[in-house]
Amino acid sequence: MTKPALDQRAVRRWLSGLTSGNRRWIQGTVAAGTLAGVATIIQMVFLAQIVHLGVIEKAPASALAPFFIGLILAIVVRAIAQGAQAHLAARCSEQVRRTARRQIHQHWRNAGPLALGQTSAGSLAREWIDHVDALHGYFARFLPQMTLSVVVPLLILALVFYLDWLAGIFLLLSAPLIPFFMALVGMGAEKLNQQHFETISRLSGQFLDKVRGLTTLQLFGQTEEAAEVIQQRSDHYRKITLKTLRVAFLSSAVLEFFASVAIAVIAIYIGFGLLGYITYGPSADLTLFSGLLILLLAPEFFQPLRTLSQHYHDRAEALGAGTEILARLADDESAGPVRNTDAEDSGARPLIGESITDNDAIEVNSVSLGFRPDHKVLKDVSLAVNKGDVIALTGPSGGGKSTLLNLLAGFLTPHSGDIHLFGRPAGSFAFGWLGQSGFLVHGTWADNLRLTSPDASDVAIETALRNVGLGPLLDSREDGIFSRVSEDGQGLSGGQARRLSLARIFVADYDVILLDEPTAGLDSDSEIFVLEALHKLALAGKTLIFSTHHQALLALANRVLLVSAGEVKDV
Amino acid sequence: MSELKPWLKLIFARPGRLFVGAFLMLAALLSGLGLLALSGWFITETALVGILLAASIPATINLYVPGSGIRFFAVSRTVSRYVERLYNHDTVLRLLTDIRVALFRKLAAAGRGQRRELTGAQWLSRLTSDVDALDTLYLRLIAPAALAAFVTLLIFGLAWILFDIRIAAFIALILALAFVLATLAVYVRTVNIASRQSDQQEYLRMAVVEHLEGFAELTAAGRTGKHGAWLLRQAHQASSDQVKADSRTGWHQAGSHLLINLSAVFALWAGFELFRSGAISGPVLVLLPIALLGLAEVYSMLPEAFGKLGATQASAARLNRDCRDADHGDSTAEAASLPEYTALLAKGLTIKHPEHAPLFTHFDLQVKTGERVGILGHSGSGKSSLADAFSGLLAPSNGAFASLPSAYLTQKTVLFEDTLRANLLLGAPDASDAQLWRVLEMVDLAERFHTEADQLDTWLGSSGSRLSGGEARRVALARVLLSPAPLLILDEPFTGVDTTTREKITRQMDTRLQGRTVISLAHGPDALPGTDRVIQLG
Repeated sequence: MTKPALDQRAVRRWLSGLTSGNRRWIQGTVAAGTLAGVATIIQMVFLAQIVHLGVIEKAPASALAPFFIGLILAIVVRAIAQGAQAHLAARCSEQVRRTARRQIHQHWRNAGPLALGQTSAGSLAREWIDHVDALHGYFARFLPQMTLSVVVPLLILALVFYLDWLAGIFLLLSAPLIPFFMALVGMGAEKLNQQHFETISRLSGQFLDKVRGLTTLQLFGQTEEAAEVIQQRSDHYRKITLKTLRVAFLSSAVLEFFASVAIAVIAIYIGFGLLGYITYGPSADLTLFSGLLILLLAPEFFQPLRTLSQHYHDRAEALGAGTEILARLADDESAGPVRNTDAEDSGARPLIGESITDNDAIEVNSVSLGFRPDHKVLKDVSLAVNKGDVIALTGPSGGGKSTLLNLLAGFLTPHSGDIHLFGRPAGSFAFGWLGQSGFLVHGTWADNLRLTSPDASDVAIETALRNVGLGPLLDSREDGIFSRVSEDGQGLSGGQARRLSLARIFVADYDVILLDEPTAGLDSDSEIFVLEALHKLALAGKTLIFSTHHQALLALANRVLLVSAGEVKDV
Repeated sequence: MSELKPWLKLIFARPGRLFVGAFLMLAALLSGLGLLALSGWFITETALVGILLAASIPATINLYVPGSGIRFFAVSRTVSRYVERLYNHDTVLRLLTDIRVALFRKLAAAGRGQRRELTGAQWLSRLTSDVDALDTLYLRLIAPAALAAFVTLLIFGLAWILFDIRIAAFIALILALAFVLATLAVYVRTVNIASRQSDQQEYLRMAVVEHLEGFAELTAAGRTGKHGAWLLRQAHQASSDQVKADSRTGWHQAGSHLLINLSAVFALWAGFELFRSGAISGPVLVLLPIALLGLAEVYSMLPEAFGKLGATQASAARLNRDCRDADHGDSTAEAASLPEYTALLAKGLTIKHPEHAPLFTHFDLQVKTGERVGILGHSGSGKSSLADAFSGLLAPSNGAFASLPSAYLTQKTVLFEDTLRANLLLGAPDASDAQLWRVLEMVDLAERFHTEADQLDTWLGSSGSRLSGGEARRVALARVLLSPAPLLILDEPFTGVDTTTREKITRQMDTRLQGRTVISLAHGPDALPGTDRVIQLG
């Protein structure tokens, strides 16, 4: 019971944290909204004044002209303030979303590729794009309106009290306590939203489930039956939803009722007061000016609250999205790399108190790592690898091969011990990495290679692609390296994609290259090209470390290490 | 606008409901306008009478009619608003059902080739949001726009009756301008941004997914910062566009509001001339401007709705495209006649997906009734496309083909968010419980579900998520085995099923499927059930 409440509080804290850097946009929005409110009040004052002067005092047109000019000015200011409010609100939400995206991206970098790989790219992308966009309404509409729905009614209330305190009391009574009112609105709206979203998502789920399996339904000739099921269930949900809505809409009906009754009561009170039928209170001082002004201001008193209740679903949406984003941001980062792995900020770590390291070797000093306390993946592993060595890691799956590679890459931090590559900590400089799935972006071949080596020349790119056996494919494309990788919907096969990744390594000229099962799951063509390419890299004096079971790869290595049960032995 | 036509037709299939809904909205709006205008009239009237009374000049005022009018409007405003919201919510939910069911029927009628490339989760989520955009088209856009136009006409009439035609016409002109500013102008100024937003979003999503998939490589190369900054710029570009659209919508809203206020100012100014000439009374003079101010309520709903119209149109266009009938134009295949004792006959088949190179040319196969044929091929050899062609899902583009009616187990396991019974009954809608248990026995699942409290009515969860991969596969297999079709086509029937169970099922199938023809396709011989002969592809 307390936990979700705590979570909500954390989400709200996070949301308000997002505003802290963008406070001036919110303040600007609120200021513009307040200005619009003040201009509205002034507009009504002029309006009432004109009517009073014209109808009661029978003032000539010339005497009214200045008031008309004032009225038009107030209207224009009101419009400008309204437009500015919309503009500033949109800008505010833009800034906030930018901040949120930056935060999430920073979290990704801190978490590192291994931790990130635990979640599907699709859902991470959804968080980054859709969940962040879901914050829009909260910052653009709800948050400023929150303040406005207090400030503007209070201003109006003060003026009405000045004009006629009894009418002021009517207003105040009809909205006994603004916070109470807001809570009422909020509760109703919250329930309404919850119910509405649940129904909609359930219905979407049902519908999508059937669409997903449409082919199967067609195969069994059951599409018409399925359509009827969708119809029936939708109808069923509609009936249930409406039952809840009947209650949920009551809260806004209450607001509407109070607003209408207040206007009616005030109109009748003022009317009787003006007739002189009311002999007590301040009504003797009522004029057409003050009476009409109070009447004109009464709907404006309730308008901000009504707007707020319309925007309430923005809050629910933002809280929902915020909860998921925050859950991601709060993910345990302990498994991630120690430091920023970017080469751009490399080499800042002082070497005080560390063992003297060899600048020409990769050294692993008594490294241990366990994801559970009772089970160590690597137990006190020490290892030295010379520059230019080709190392194959082999052993049973789950023996720790990938863990060792990830430690060397700096994607994981050892719980004890340290790792140095040529005198530098793991992950502190650029190196080559080839994962089990190739990676390509929509764009040209050159784009794909320049992703990791922005300064590579056209010639270097073409050579690299030919080195991994993509030459024939390249020749078949009209614009060579400047043609798109996936043309006319024809993507690359898994093997071709991995070779493309390998070409990136060729272009970049890294000292150390780490490869995780470089030939696993490849067709025989790709396998041959990958083997050849690795051979070329080895000849070029690169230090290669890869995990494999593949015989040809084991033969390529000049040193084979058996990684098993958390220990590493030479074979 | 033509892309909206089929959907508008669907929406207007309930004219009575829409009319009642619009009428309720009108009632709520007019109650609000009436409450304020009548109150303004009343206050002015009482002020004038009050002055006379104070000066001891005899004057009378009918308090009863305006008083009860004000009370009536206060109550009718609340009631009509509440009823209207409830009623129109009901309408929206009904439209949602109508649109989904219609869309589903259209998708079912459209060719599979169209849907093939569109079955990803991304497409499904896009489909949902596109449908949602259409659900609210009536309530957000059509009804308020019609209402605003209608109330504007009413006010024009009121101004004509109370003031004169000249003033009424001028007020109508200002309001027409406000109407255009809040509707058409917003649409024109946002349509490009709104319609490109979805594409932009998809492009961004793709880029983010690529970034994440390549995160290890980018981290190794020390490029996550640079590439991430590029992504942030892309995202920022998209939201800047949105800011532009929002901000334009906001200014238009302010502009139309300004014009409405100006029309009230004009009514007041022009009214004073009539007042001074004695043509109208003071209270009537006040009534019209106040009614005009009240118009802002209905006009303020318009700009946002019209700002999203471009996106709604794009949604409708996409849905129309999804439902378009597949093009079978390049198929020159003919239907062969099936010789006696033959379950399937393929002669010189060419099998290809649209805009792709052919997977098979001159493919020949004859399967006798009762025969068990195994087809082997490594992944990517076109085995599933072959199975699609055999089952009729994929029309061969050349050659002659005929087969007995078939039941087809697709490579992908598809289970529905429903009970075990409902999932199985798809194969044979009239099957008895005993038959269901028998087929579950055959795939070695009878015991598994006997122990469940709900037995055949066990809920399988979304996409069969309450089952293991192998169990889900076996339920899908059971469904095909249950089908009375004489020809069974099984693509990788044992994905995720362990060896012991696989052998058990193979034995059961051998004895129980006597007389039926089975074509099974798999990547290796041990993934095939019992066969009389095996064909190797490629």
